[in-house]
Amino acid sequence: MNLDGYLTISAALFALGLIMFLSKKNSIAILMGVELILNAAALNFVAFAHFRPSLGSQLDGQIFAIFIILLAAAEAVVALAIALAVFQKHQHVRADKLTELHG
Amino acid sequence: MDLQEIFFYFFSFMVLGIGSITAFSKNLLRAAFALFFVLFGMAGFYILLGADFLAIVQILVYAGGISVLLIFGTMLTGDVSKPEMSSPSFHGVYTFIIGIAFLTLILGVLKSTKWSEMPISTMEPTTNSIGKLLLTEYLLPFEVVSFLLLAAMIGALVLIIKKESHES
Repeated sequence: MNLDGYLTISAALFALGLIMFLSKKNSIAILMGVELILNAAALNFVAFAHFRPSLGSQLDGQIFAIFIILLAAAEAVVALAIALAVFQKHQHVRADKLTELHG
Repeated sequence: MDLQEIFFYFFSFMVLGIGSITAFSKNLLRAAFALFFVLFGMAGFYILLGADFLAIVQILVYAGGISVLLIFGTMLTGDVSKPEMSSPSFHGVYTFIIGIAFLTLILGVLKSTKWSEMPISTMEPTTNSIGKLLLTEYLLPFEVVSFLLLAAMIGALVLIIKKESHES
């Protein structure tokens, strides 16, 4: 397969994540949308690293993708901790009903 | 049609078909399980692109860690007894239009751009060279990210423990 195929898949996955991110009310579902978007970005990096190796080495894109995965892990942990803390207080995690910041 | 193309179409069906279940399902638990298979499909893409180490990291961290974490989060914060409407959406039509508009924009740009491809013909193991790069050229980002992971871990603990001691 050529580069365009991978970029198309990545764009479609990003669009799915965007729709999910914008339309869902549950904050866990919003987090899942962010994961889809991050995966689409990582696929772009790896596809470019494979088809157009940069000046330094062919692995620059893959290392960037590893950092994306690490950041996604950190983000998921903190976001779920916040969701659990919010659930202990409000008994729901609906993003449209959480309007006060001060606990 | 060679084997690589067959696998490409298989993985794209896996990622996009199951990914649309994730995006449009009203049942959050079903969406979380669908996300698990989407992340596996992404690992397949990485293998097709010659990134073997990254594919294993994807399976270990994403499919094994983050998706399990998301499934646990779904079960802990939702009404498990009736999950049918656990993930309602609002302004569904408008966000769908926004997503389709974004997709057509990107696809139009892709169509009008000609990338000069020079694919790597030989596939060789990448683990050795990635390890070397992480400890030489990318040492500073590597340390910063490990510090960030430590901070995220402590932050998550603080967020949970503070609430518990507050109530008791």
